[in-house]
Amino acid sequence: MQKIYEAELSFLEACLKVNPKSYGSWHHRGWVSARLPRPDWARELSLCDRCLSLDDRNFHCWDYRRMVVKVSGVPVDQELEFSDRLIGSNFSNYSSWHYRSTLLPVLHPQTRQEPPHASSPRGPQSHRVCEEQLLKEYELVQNAFFTDPNDQSAWFYYRWLLGRAEREETISCVYVSREDERVAVAFSRPINARCVGLLLVLDGQPLRVEWRSVHPRFRHSPVLICDLPPGTINDVTNEHNLTVHWTGNHTHRDCALYTGRVESWCRDTATDQELFRSELSVEKTSVLQSELQSVKQLQELEPLNKWCLLTIILLMRALDPLGYEKETLAHFQTLKEVDSMRSEYYSDLCCKFMIENTILKMEYAEVRVFSITDRNLTSLCHLDQLLLVTHINLSSNRLQRLPPQFAMLQCLEVLEADNNFLENLEGVYHLPRLQEVSLKNNKISTLTDLQPLASCPELKRLDLRGNPVTQAASVESDLAELLPSVTDLLL
Amino acid sequence: MLGTQIKDVILKPDAPSSLLLDKHADYIAAYGSKKDDYEYTLSEYLRMSGIYWGLTVMDLMGQLDRMNLQEIIDFIKACQHDCGGFSASIGHDPHLLYTLSAVQILCLYDSLHAIDVDKVVEYVKGLQQEDGSFAGDKWGEIDTRFSFCAVATLALLGKMEMINVDRAVEFVLSCMNFDGGFGCRPGSESHAGQIYCCTGFLSLTGQLHQLNADLLGWWLCERQLPSGGLNGRPEKLPDVCYSWWVLASLKIIGRIHWIDKSRLRQFILACQDEETGGFADRPGDMVDPFHTLFGVAGLSLLGEEQVKAVNPVLCMPEDVLQRIGLQPDLLS
Repeated sequence: MQKIYEAELSFLEACLKVNPKSYGSWHHRGWVSARLPRPDWARELSLCDRCLSLDDRNFHCWDYRRMVVKVSGVPVDQELEFSDRLIGSNFSNYSSWHYRSTLLPVLHPQTRQEPPHASSPRGPQSHRVCEEQLLKEYELVQNAFFTDPNDQSAWFYYRWLLGRAEREETISCVYVSREDERVAVAFSRPINARCVGLLLVLDGQPLRVEWRSVHPRFRHSPVLICDLPPGTINDVTNEHNLTVHWTGNHTHRDCALYTGRVESWCRDTATDQELFRSELSVEKTSVLQSELQSVKQLQELEPLNKWCLLTIILLMRALDPLGYEKETLAHFQTLKEVDSMRSEYYSDLCCKFMIENTILKMEYAEVRVFSITDRNLTSLCHLDQLLLVTHINLSSNRLQRLPPQFAMLQCLEVLEADNNFLENLEGVYHLPRLQEVSLKNNKISTLTDLQPLASCPELKRLDLRGNPVTQAASVESDLAELLPSVTDLLL
Repeated sequence: MLGTQIKDVILKPDAPSSLLLDKHADYIAAYGSKKDDYEYTLSEYLRMSGIYWGLTVMDLMGQLDRMNLQEIIDFIKACQHDCGGFSASIGHDPHLLYTLSAVQILCLYDSLHAIDVDKVVEYVKGLQQEDGSFAGDKWGEIDTRFSFCAVATLALLGKMEMINVDRAVEFVLSCMNFDGGFGCRPGSESHAGQIYCCTGFLSLTGQLHQLNADLLGWWLCERQLPSGGLNGRPEKLPDVCYSWWVLASLKIIGRIHWIDKSRLRQFILACQDEETGGFADRPGDMVDPFHTLFGVAGLSLLGEEQVKAVNPVLCMPEDVLQRIGLQPDLLS
């Protein structure tokens, strides 16, 4: 048998010489190797070495190598050295950096204090890399992009290194409203409302409730709501203790509703959650600071290099998002000029960072007012962090829609979004406290566009001046019919 | 500083700049009429997919009626094996790739009744492995492409519940990389083709929220090169078929506005062959039906009015999917 298979391997080698990118040839070689009575894995590795030396981007070969390494038990640190050699020897080395990204978390895992949760966080390499190794890795990558600032692989890899670790699976906020007899819960990731494993306990007794997403358009939501049985908590002279258990993740959150209070909440701030940046050790801070200086120097030598500009922005976000706000905005401007094909990407990324900064400022001020005006905002994000917001001002931006996710603003009382390009208000949906809406100078053109507002029972004041819909013949009577609760209508 | 040169093509000023739809329809209608043409014979191993590419692009151009419905249905019937799977051509072995293509063609023609649907479902189900992955055929090659083929086939037949969807999702997610992209198997490098298959898969299984859309969207929009064309992964040349794999993925994750549409359109049009009709992978190269479909489909995603709307998940005309009642999720 060995002889027959060996002959097949020779034949396959000849095939691979002619076409090293044939799925069939590589699969067949793996099939044969797995059945060889006496496999020669060293020879297979050397075949991979030769193949990669001719083309180190051949993913068929890389995948075959991964299989050989796994089956023959090659130690991870040896493979890490292998990736070192390849990265050093070649310009086109994305495959090698990628391989490194899979090896590092295995070789140098961040030890967790508690045992990992039953359902661990998904996502790109969700395991952390221990800090000591991380700092060495920064140095390695920095050498790469200083040697060749156009080597995009290094910049991609560096962005991954800078990225924050995966969030712990947690309940980030529980909000209770006495008047509405409603509970809203914010999670660290979207979950399915029909997911089993959410338990509500009121004053020590489990309560049967039905959880739902804030908008029918998305089943997986980071904010879920439920209604309590009528009469459960509406007596303001009673104190209540509420606990939400997320049983699948062995975590829970308590919220006490005190006598005389009409609402209550318990929340981790964005800073607590390490939402927008990781907590940095002193050592890591100083390393990143010096990297920032180095990349800034590089940027002066290479003013048209967009990777430098983007990386400077990312380093600033990691170090001090609020402190570097002005500089960050200036760099985005330059970036959009230097890499105009991707200007929409940079706009959206900039919006995201500005929204993050506004959330941070709002939390430091301990207010429930969120305001970003005159900032060329083209899109909204992090709406799950705005569950407690009562007043929002998005005026003088470039928004075209308030998406379904906007319905997560369950405490919203006043919405101002004048001077945008709004034509879609899907997300202004079943907002129980919404009383005042100002949408002057937008693109609302039909009665249907305003349909979602009809689901907001407390809506009293609506300003639609400067919208095409006001030109329609019967607009006043149509609106009176659609929105009977509105007493103050401006057209 | 002398560093890496950017790998790219340069568009000639006299490259085609308008859409030559009629030429492409003529090219496809005539393709395969000479059955002993060298290239045609050599590609027999993928004939079923070849037919799907040709028919889909004709339908997108509103000229499906120029193709021979009965001949094709007879061919497909002759390709269904006892195990339920379809081969690329008569006498070839069955495979998931050609099973999907066969089902897609029958949907175009509203002719699913012509084959044994239950057998197809059995075939697909039988290829799912313990870890949720799918083999392409009985010989066991595992690839996320096959996960896509499996769920797409079952979605079109309305039989998704016949496989272990949760396990299948787990496997695909285990292929997610540091850059937000996906490869063939766990640990494999991100590649636009695989990313299309995995985002399509997650759309069909209602799991798009598991993606890091911002990170993946960035990787995808970085596929655009100065020529306006898109490559499949870093440091590779642009290719018109990536105008589909990358663009459709961006559409599925709601970030299609992150690439420069007019530059891409210019590149795609430059890949046309004014004399023969059809699209090539790059300007000046030989055309083929594969690149013709993806060039036209890419233009459709960019809003080309002369072409029917194409569904980014299944690469089939939207009106066909509306008839079936299949509306896969998209992120906004």
